[in-house]
Amino acid sequence: MNFLLSYLIIAEIYALAAMSTNLLIGVTGIFSIAQGAIFGIGAYIVAIATLNDALPFPLAMLLAMVLCSLVNVAMALPSLRISGDYFVVTSLGMQFVLTAAFTNLTGITGGASGLPGVPPPVLFGIELDDSQSFIPLATLALVAGMICYWLVMRGPFGRLINAIREDELAVSAAGKNVLMAKVGVAALSGVYVGVAGGLYATFISFIDPSSCDIAASFLLLTMFVVGGARTLAGCLIGPALLMALPQILAVMPIPSAAAGPLRQIIYGALLIAFMLFRPQGIAGQKL
Amino acid sequence: MLFLQLLIDGLITGCAFGVVAVTFTVIYTTTQVFHIGHGSIYTLGGYVTWYLTEQGVPFVLALPVAVIVCAAAGALIQGQLYNRLMQRKATPLVLLIASLGAALVIENTLAAVFSPNILNFTTVWGNRTVSLAGVTLGLAQVAILVADLALFGGMVAWANYTALGKRTRAVAANDFLAEITRLEPRRVHVAVLAITSGVVAIPGSLIALDHGMYPYSGTLVVLTATIAMISGGLGNLIGGFIAAVILSVVQTVSTIFMPGEWSIAATFGLFVVLMIFKPTGLFVRATT
Repeated sequence: MNFLLSYLIIAEIYALAAMSTNLLIGVTGIFSIAQGAIFGIGAYIVAIATLNDALPFPLAMLLAMVLCSLVNVAMALPSLRISGDYFVVTSLGMQFVLTAAFTNLTGITGGASGLPGVPPPVLFGIELDDSQSFIPLATLALVAGMICYWLVMRGPFGRLINAIREDELAVSAAGKNVLMAKVGVAALSGVYVGVAGGLYATFISFIDPSSCDIAASFLLLTMFVVGGARTLAGCLIGPALLMALPQILAVMPIPSAAAGPLRQIIYGALLIAFMLFRPQGIAGQKL
Repeated sequence: MLFLQLLIDGLITGCAFGVVAVTFTVIYTTTQVFHIGHGSIYTLGGYVTWYLTEQGVPFVLALPVAVIVCAAAGALIQGQLYNRLMQRKATPLVLLIASLGAALVIENTLAAVFSPNILNFTTVWGNRTVSLAGVTLGLAQVAILVADLALFGGMVAWANYTALGKRTRAVAANDFLAEITRLEPRRVHVAVLAITSGVVAIPGSLIALDHGMYPYSGTLVVLTATIAMISGGLGNLIGGFIAAVILSVVQTVSTIFMPGEWSIAATFGLFVVLMIFKPTGLFVRATT
């Protein structure tokens, strides 16, 4: 039972991160391959703040949301001058730089060994230290995220960012401020992935650079592709399926050294297969 | 003296990156695909050469085999993956994701088959050194310098003077017109991918000989190559090569001022500054 709850919590956390990726790539067309690193920023901030008793959990989460928003915005700003292909380069560079920061700022981030012993969240005086007490928090965060996503997509802002993906020039010609829209979506996406990162760090009680390196960005991308672009169902299906994958691989007779690369091969194969045969993913819209 | 040594090291590695940048530029301008998989083909070349030399094949014979293997891999990716997607009018986003998928599969297959750790060549000739004016150069480094400059010259000559090169430039200039005038752009794309992938196997093998191999190094190499391509002015082969050399020198010399792990930050920082203050030559496609 505990195992199932853990799986659900992780799937919910990644669903939030998938929503953030969906907002950037699926809806607006800003191809950012740095989502893993921003997830890491959220995780590290909450971890550092709660480990040193500097901030209570809710405030630490708030700080993570704000900082991740700012970093995402800072990264989205160059995308105005450069087309989609070039922005990949910027975000890829950002991912590498942030991974280097996580690994080398040993005093703050614990370096390559990470930060163990992150305390569980304390809400209203209750310590959420096992799966059963954590799952209400994760589910609440996910539901709040889903409602917010649904509302945004239905509203004028949602229509605007969809239009930017379809024809940025036309939107600009219609007099809309493309810069502000992109900044807005980057900020919103940052909030989602910051929450996801914070929840991850406090649930696993540990954070290290390997949870937010480029492989993590590829995982989020694969979840987005498999689940499907722009739909809420896609944001739920993708993480649920891909989080089940390591469990399936664990019961198969594969040498442990090859397990990590094998998982990545499967992600790559999924990406190729979906692009060739079903670009809209399982439950998504036309990519 | 350390500065001079680092400068020379940077120049030599820069020539290798320059070849990757030049080949990447040819692919991007011709097919409009941001072929991230190019980095993994570079890595593949290194591993094929290493595997053959471990089996006892002399390096000079292993290298052409690696070239052929990489050319075949590149042609396969273009023919089976990108061509199919382009026939369906796939958006650049779809092509990009497909390219990432190909890169993931190739790099991780290498990691699964050959181990995810850094591997080194056991042949000795690369380590013999030569001293020139107080600077020590490994023979491998000399090979890198000579081979890559030759490849660069070869690519420029190919683009400007051979029939296929001119045909490629025509396709790059106007794909639609090329289609109508029966230049068969799809076949040109496959040929371009085959040639560039084969070419990039050589710096891949030589750098692997000099620095050792790591399955995941391709992503960083292709990142540097694309930064060089953009900084040098899209489509400008000579500009791209020079930009790659400059970036590599910045990366190596920066280790005097900051720990080696931050050298990527130096390169990337330079790129961001460039994009903010002087993106000229980057407005070829101002919108996606």
